[in-house]
Amino acid sequence: MSFATKRLGKELSKINNSLPPGIELVSADNFEEWFLDIRVLDNNPLYANQVYRLKFKFSAQYPIEPPEVVFVKLANRPIPIHPHIYSNGIICLDLLGQQGWSPVQNVESICMSLQSMLTGNNKDERPAGDEEFVRGNRLRPKDIDFYYHDNNV
Amino acid sequence: MTHALQLKEEGNRRFLAGDYATAEALYSQALVLDPTNPALYTNRAITRLRTCQWDNVIADCDECLRISPDNMKAHFYLSQAHLALHAYDDAVAHALKAHQLCVRAADKSLVAITAHVLKCKKERWDDLEKRRMRETSELENEVNYLLTSERDRALQELGDVDEGTRKEIEEEWQQKIDRMRVVFEKATANESKRRVVPDWAIDGISFGFMVDPVITKTGKSYERASIEEHLRRQPVDPLTREPLYISELVANRDLKQACDEFLEENGWAADW
Repeated sequence: MSFATKRLGKELSKINNSLPPGIELVSADNFEEWFLDIRVLDNNPLYANQVYRLKFKFSAQYPIEPPEVVFVKLANRPIPIHPHIYSNGIICLDLLGQQGWSPVQNVESICMSLQSMLTGNNKDERPAGDEEFVRGNRLRPKDIDFYYHDNNV
Repeated sequence: MTHALQLKEEGNRRFLAGDYATAEALYSQALVLDPTNPALYTNRAITRLRTCQWDNVIADCDECLRISPDNMKAHFYLSQAHLALHAYDDAVAHALKAHQLCVRAADKSLVAITAHVLKCKKERWDDLEKRRMRETSELENEVNYLLTSERDRALQELGDVDEGTRKEIEEEWQQKIDRMRVVFEKATANESKRRVVPDWAIDGISFGFMVDPVITKTGKSYERASIEEHLRRQPVDPLTREPLYISELVANRDLKQACDEFLEENGWAADW
């Protein structure tokens, strides 16, 4: 059994027991791709009454390597508006990059970081160059070298 | 290249192709030409592991260890063969030796060997547990048999007494037997009660039970195999992101002892 499979098995049994408020497991049919729903816990008007769908993709090197995490768009699951979230669902978060990742992070802690990233935001805008990025991007999210220019957002 | 080495290379190719029988034959031919090459013994041992020839694996590893006593692979394969043969103590001993040599050599197989150490300890505990359960249930049956025959004998010796007294004495014995059943039931239920692994024994990276905990400058401990895997990719502390190198890790002996002792008493924790 690979490193990733064993660790994800343990994460899953923990998730099945309990998850923090505002986070729900949608499906985890294998150890390659999981879906979770998150929502914010305050009344931030940008995200109130909305649920967002996250897709996690794990490599065999997880958690040594970070998972690939994006928001996915469905009829009732929009992509949250945020200056670090592109309209195709790609998230620009230090924690998820090759440099910012730490193997002590896990699916639950990532969801919580994303919750607080939304909660703390009051800008109703997409990242600079969103349209161009979404049109031109062919890279996998984790290979994109984001420039973390504003850590206060 | 010598002829023995050519045979070895061809054996390696056959091994990778999954043709274990031919690979084994090629290593055997090479060993005739060069009977002192430890790698030929370990290579043949792994083909024999794949084909479940446990006794032959043991013979190859023993021979290899005679030539080269600190051969990590020989200890690792030997442990796997002993495990397959249910020789748990030998399996654990050689797994631990392989682990020690692997750490010393900074070999890449540390993740696999660490997992194997846990597997050996778990299977040894399972076996012990099975034996304990069987012995308990045998003891229960024996005690039950003794009590019922003692009751029957006592009733027979009563001879001519009135039905009331006989009933009373029979009742007394039945209570004793019932009480014995309850005591045994409680004892077995206790063993299978809800089991919890303490957080201090769990590695924050693999989420596995720790076999060889090492401590960082910040005071946090991890499984050696996991943290080394992480530091090879990125030499920073997982918590503080400050620079951290493999050479700075220190074995956490007290925690290791605590983990070993916990596992000794709670073998089920190995595959938590």
